[in-house]
Amino acid sequence: MELKLSGLRVIVPASTKGIMRRVVEQLIDEGCDVAICSRSEDSVARALRELSGGRGKAIGRACDVLDKEDYESWIEEMVAQMGGVDIFIPGVSAGGGSDSERNWWKNFEVDVLSTVRGCETVIPHMQAGGGGAITFITTTAAVETFGGPQAYNAMKGSLLVYAKQLSQDVGKDKIRVNCVSPGPIYFEGGSWEMLKDTMSKWFSKIERDHPGGRLGTPEEVANCIVFISSPAASWVSGTNLMVDGGFTKRVQF
Amino acid sequence: MDIIRKQTVKRSDPEKHPGGTPLAKAPRIDLGTEIISKERYTSVEFMQLEWDKIWTKTWLLGCREDQIPEPGDFICTNIGTESVILVRQKNNEIKAFHNVCMHRGNRLADEGLWHAESFVCGYHGWEYGSDGTFVDIPDLDTFQQGKPPCSGLAELPCDTWVSFVWFSLNTEVEPLEEYIGDLVGHFEPYHFERMAMTRWVTAEWNCNWKAAVDAFAEAYHTATTHPQLKWYLDDFDIQIDLYDKHSRYLIAFGLLSPRVESVGEIPPPLKFLLSDAGIDPASYEGPINGIREAVQKQKRATQKEQGKDFSELHDDQLTDDYNYLVFPGVTFNTHSDDLMLYRHRPHPSDPNKCLFDVWMFELIPEGEEWPELPKHDFRPEGSTRSLGLVIDQDAANLASVQAGMNSAGYPGLWLSDQEIRLRHFHNTITDFIES
Repeated sequence: MELKLSGLRVIVPASTKGIMRRVVEQLIDEGCDVAICSRSEDSVARALRELSGGRGKAIGRACDVLDKEDYESWIEEMVAQMGGVDIFIPGVSAGGGSDSERNWWKNFEVDVLSTVRGCETVIPHMQAGGGGAITFITTTAAVETFGGPQAYNAMKGSLLVYAKQLSQDVGKDKIRVNCVSPGPIYFEGGSWEMLKDTMSKWFSKIERDHPGGRLGTPEEVANCIVFISSPAASWVSGTNLMVDGGFTKRVQF
Repeated sequence: MDIIRKQTVKRSDPEKHPGGTPLAKAPRIDLGTEIISKERYTSVEFMQLEWDKIWTKTWLLGCREDQIPEPGDFICTNIGTESVILVRQKNNEIKAFHNVCMHRGNRLADEGLWHAESFVCGYHGWEYGSDGTFVDIPDLDTFQQGKPPCSGLAELPCDTWVSFVWFSLNTEVEPLEEYIGDLVGHFEPYHFERMAMTRWVTAEWNCNWKAAVDAFAEAYHTATTHPQLKWYLDDFDIQIDLYDKHSRYLIAFGLLSPRVESVGEIPPPLKFLLSDAGIDPASYEGPINGIREAVQKQKRATQKEQGKDFSELHDDQLTDDYNYLVFPGVTFNTHSDDLMLYRHRPHPSDPNKCLFDVWMFELIPEGEEWPELPKHDFRPEGSTRSLGLVIDQDAANLASVQAGMNSAGYPGLWLSDQEIRLRHFHNTITDFIES
């Protein structure tokens, strides 16, 4: 199957590590130009160095997605440098936690508001360019009880609602909007590696709750993100793709 | 699991902080690299040497002063084949006696906390006062030779230090202060007397008492045995100080181990550290490796309103673990808000077994009511009840270590620099045995 990604221009914020980094690597392999960012200048410089020499080109700079002005101007700069934007993949998150009310503000600002601002900034460019694809990275914790009631789950849930309704609104402009909801994903340097050490009993239970008896890999999630964002998925919009190895138990009618 | 980051722990400067617990690094002693013979852990002969030269010669930990607050309150505690009574006197002093009736050798009391106006032997009714002297010998006129020439129970040296009662089976022992030596002044700033005993457990472990001491005297095992602690403390840049008999190491809490990278979110153990100090983890915006300092500052700033007085403690002590071995067998894990004390006792006859005592203490804020003294909780061999995650993880190794040490395929301990306290411990044992 041809993903038809070669030559497309992609913006992936907060993407120097983990799953989003894997997405960037796959897109570059497919021949996309990809704009990346992270809060740390060093991380961006290192990632750009490591990503150089591929089929596509990586560009980027340090940027704080919480800072509206900084984030929006980063997107504008990246669009200008790449000469447009075809795909936008926001997967930024403040992570889980139920320590205080502050968790709710953080997940709202980082997970929701930055995504909304990002969409509102890229959509005019996609409209002008004749279409595009937007893929939100959400979570299985938005659709099933997981880890106790908390802002992360609820705010990711609100992104599912926003994505669906946005897809209806911009469909006429040939812009597709989808969500990919990964289950627990294990990789070195990831949260689940830390949880394996610090909450080992819970970690083992989560492992057992997967029909395959293991957690997912960044590769397995990135494959789905890249596919659903690619022109090969041209007739997929407004959906939420669960990538969890069957971890969630609900029936998805 | 190797070191993947360079990390240097910032420590309170001894020059700038002259008072309080000594901070200065003790001069490094060259202890060589020789293998340490495993027979020290497995042989009955060596066990007997230890008994003759160490357990019956040194100062030993008996109890907390506040376990026996009133005249007549006493604790009976066993050590090896001996049993000792520590009893509060009318003048508030504490005396120690061999727990044995001078008549036919019967034990006067079972292990535990008790109260009695006098000690009455359950066999023939010989009675001794709290001060150990004879009160009544039934039918004394039937003893042609009269009563024994002593004044009563066999008294032992007894003294107190930092809220604890110490005794010795050696009537010729040096004064306690001299024995404690280098460590005098180390514990006083913590004010253990402001901490309430909250747990008193004894577990029978299937390992030599030294294997249990070893488990709490090196951090090399942390990454493998306690993987969760990699997300809580620096298990590599550790200050190790070897003194005359005793030793300590200082482990910085509130940092990631240099064996892991930050995953961009605060690990659960560090969240607890922040919450305990009154910092909301969700509002903490600093770097993860800044948590140690943030907690120190917060505890310093809020001590008054929390009814705590840390004025004699250095900043490092507000987060870090100052872990001491008071020779021969007491581990003091000292922290500003609690003390985790482990007493390692040899088995009366089997080098493959020991008694592991856990005494936990918590700082009680001024004005708050103290909890009742904990009841003694005995965990016989094979008990699966938890002693807490970290101790359980250590305990899980020890029976297997002891079994392995008995193997013909194992010659002895092959130690790293990270385990230098074990080598020092064995050197001290050798010094006593050869003296």
